[in-house]
Amino acid sequence: MKAIIKTALTGAFILLLSFQATAQSSKYKCMLQMSNYMGEGAYVVVSLINAKGEYEKTLYVMGDDKKWYNSLKEWYKFNSKKPSNISAITGASVTGGDRSITTIEIENSKINHGYKLRFESAVEDQKYHVNDVEIPLTTAGIAAKSEGKGYIRYVRLSKI
Amino acid sequence: MTLSFWRYSHLALAVFSAAFLIIASVTGTILAVDAIQQKIPPHRVENFENITLGQTLAVLKKNYPEITEVSIDHNQFVTLQAIDNDGNDVNGYINPATAKIIGTPVKKSDFINWVTGLHRSLFLHETGRLFVGINSFLLVLIAISGFALVINRQRGLRNFFAKIIKEYFAQYYHVLLGRLALIPILIIAISGTYLSMERFHLFENKNENQTETPTTTAAKKTFDLKNTSLAEVTKIEFPFSEDPEDYYIFELKDRKIEVNQYSNEIISEELFSTTQLLSDLSLDLHTGRANGIWAFILGLASLNILFFIYSGFAMTFKRRASRIKNKFTAQESKYILLVGSENGSSLRFANAILKQIIDNGEKAHLAQLNNYTSYPKAEHLLIFTSTYGLGDAPSNASKFVSLLETNNQQQHINYSVIGFGSKSYPDFCGFAKEIDTLLETKNWANRLLALHTVNDKSAEEFVSWVKSWSAQTDIPLSTTPSVYNHIPKGLQQVMVLDKTTVSEKEQTFLLTLRAGIRSKFTSGDLLAIYPANDNRERLYSIGKHTGNIQLAVKLHPNGLGSAFLYNLKPGDTIKTQIINNHAFHFPKKARQVVLISNGTGIAPFLGMIEQNKKKTEIHLYSGFRQKTEITAHYEKFAAEMRQKQYLSQFHLAYSREENHHYVMDLIQMDADFFAILLQNDGVIMICGALAMQFDVEKVLDTICIAKNNTTLSEYKAKGQILTDCY
Repeated sequence: MKAIIKTALTGAFILLLSFQATAQSSKYKCMLQMSNYMGEGAYVVVSLINAKGEYEKTLYVMGDDKKWYNSLKEWYKFNSKKPSNISAITGASVTGGDRSITTIEIENSKINHGYKLRFESAVEDQKYHVNDVEIPLTTAGIAAKSEGKGYIRYVRLSKI
Repeated sequence: MTLSFWRYSHLALAVFSAAFLIIASVTGTILAVDAIQQKIPPHRVENFENITLGQTLAVLKKNYPEITEVSIDHNQFVTLQAIDNDGNDVNGYINPATAKIIGTPVKKSDFINWVTGLHRSLFLHETGRLFVGINSFLLVLIAISGFALVINRQRGLRNFFAKIIKEYFAQYYHVLLGRLALIPILIIAISGTYLSMERFHLFENKNENQTETPTTTAAKKTFDLKNTSLAEVTKIEFPFSEDPEDYYIFELKDRKIEVNQYSNEIISEELFSTTQLLSDLSLDLHTGRANGIWAFILGLASLNILFFIYSGFAMTFKRRASRIKNKFTAQESKYILLVGSENGSSLRFANAILKQIIDNGEKAHLAQLNNYTSYPKAEHLLIFTSTYGLGDAPSNASKFVSLLETNNQQQHINYSVIGFGSKSYPDFCGFAKEIDTLLETKNWANRLLALHTVNDKSAEEFVSWVKSWSAQTDIPLSTTPSVYNHIPKGLQQVMVLDKTTVSEKEQTFLLTLRAGIRSKFTSGDLLAIYPANDNRERLYSIGKHTGNIQLAVKLHPNGLGSAFLYNLKPGDTIKTQIINNHAFHFPKKARQVVLISNGTGIAPFLGMIEQNKKKTEIHLYSGFRQKTEITAHYEKFAAEMRQKQYLSQFHLAYSREENHHYVMDLIQMDADFFAILLQNDGVIMICGALAMQFDVEKVLDTICIAKNNTTLSEYKAKGQILTDCY
């Protein structure tokens, strides 16, 4: 009887711990260096992509006028299907040549489990880049400087 | 010639861009208010200028483990982006001396974002921006053509800020505000054009290289944090990590420098290109973001643009309405009709004739006497003219006599002069007579008919000329008087409230009328009545008495207007028209005003005194023939007004009493007072008979010459002498 209670309690405790472990997350400083493109400020959205290549969570939105969100087509589809409150993780759009530093929060369990960070970008009346930058969420991937293909020159991450 | 060029450009540009300008100025005003509001929260710390960069950096590093960016905006509010000791994001205004958070930045509301989008690009993206850019450039041209028009109107740059002659509300304020708002509007338009064009990279190409290659000559120099004031900096980007390859980036007003985070050595220095600086300056000037007062001026200028659109179109419509429309040119026409008219009634008669001649298949041209030129195909010259004052030319005929001397016609032309006027004046049709005799001396001119005169716009008398001329030229013209009769439309009903009676000694009576609730008038305006329900119009000066219209009328034995009015009983209604007579309103600014009248001319003054709630110093000088019931009434009124301090002095002159005084004598007695009054910008208003006006002006002129060493005309030009005489 006692043993059962003991194991049950231990089990519950372990379960609780492991639950806490999954909920454990870390903050990262994320630096975005834009290339010297001409035009309006770019709207950039940072999303967490799972191993299947699907959107899982919006981590940061640079650009605060909702009117332009539909120009980030793929993310817009996801965000319309599963709307989440992004007001706390919304900042200003970034202009060509500028640097933007933001902090994003990633759950520790996502690291080294096939997840990726996707930076997609759009500029008024110009091309839309679904995959401007994609960073594999591995220890090495986070440490590296990731070059961009579109308006972003490179992205650097650093754990706080 | 140049005047019409500027006027047409000004108008055409305005018409073309009006819709856009309305949107831009409404949104611009809203944005200006927003810009001012942004200045209101006091996130600017005192002694901001004395805080150094080193001081701030030290205090920030002590308080925050991770700092990403510090920016200092145009309001000198310092924003910090960092992570605090508990791992929370910090984004707020700080006190740069203590690193304490003193406020949170407010994001632009959706409404302001919406307004900004509309203002910049009308929600049409690039196309919209292009359109906005073109229209702001048009605004530059409008401002320039407007400037040229003001110079034209004021007769030269030197008189740019001289007094503007007030014709009517829209005209006066269009010019007055135009002068004041010219500079802000030019700045708005030029900076707006620049900002729009910048989006199309018109200015970028040349400077591309400069931004790409940072100048490294400054290597080995260190950045002196201790002696750099925070006010010089616009943004500090903190090193991303502790790696010595990650630098501080300081953005100053004119350059961007990268600094080693340990040694403070300047790694690279990049001067901003002139385009960048220019675009910054344009933004400052266009948005007023750097200065609340400037933002306020910009807001006012935007509101002004709205007013200009309204008043500009009001002016255009007014001009169009009174413009003469011609089917045939002066060069090709056989019949030339020239008009000299003060208020448009002679023009009406001329137009009726013009229409009939053209309907007969002939070429005819109508013009103002001042536009007299050569008429190569002309066979008939018809001149319809009224007379102004005592035998002078009406305003649109003032240059005719000299034009006649310089423009000789090449062929023989038959002429006929028709004079319009009123027999109640001594120089009945004086100007028409002058023209008629002047034309006789020209060898090309042949008098077809003797001078015809038309008293009091009488259609019957006009028809007698029509018959004679028609007989001479074989052009059938209508001889029915009603064709030439014109009753104005939109007359207002007023009701008789009270009327005094005349006696053997006193022929003047006071009539009080109640105007419609919505009608706006003040003392000095004119009331037009149409006693016989035809062309004939009678004007009376209005005095505003307890909100009603008060007239002083002298009953003439066969007077059309006075008899009509005297036969009215309280409760009767009549059709009238109130004519705004702005040139004879009580001056708003003058500290001392003298009112001079004779006879019934006192009527508007009674109202002005009654309305003098501001207690302006008023001196009333009035002349009458003899003491009667009505002068007793005036004296009683004056006594009441003096008690209320609405009137300071009342001087009376009776020409038929024992000392035979006229108002001129009263003025002569107070010569010193008048001289000082005029010197101190006081205003003199004269109402009554024309002869009295001339006598008074003569006396005043002598006083001015003797005491002020100048002539009365100088004070007239400054608007210190206002007259309404008949």
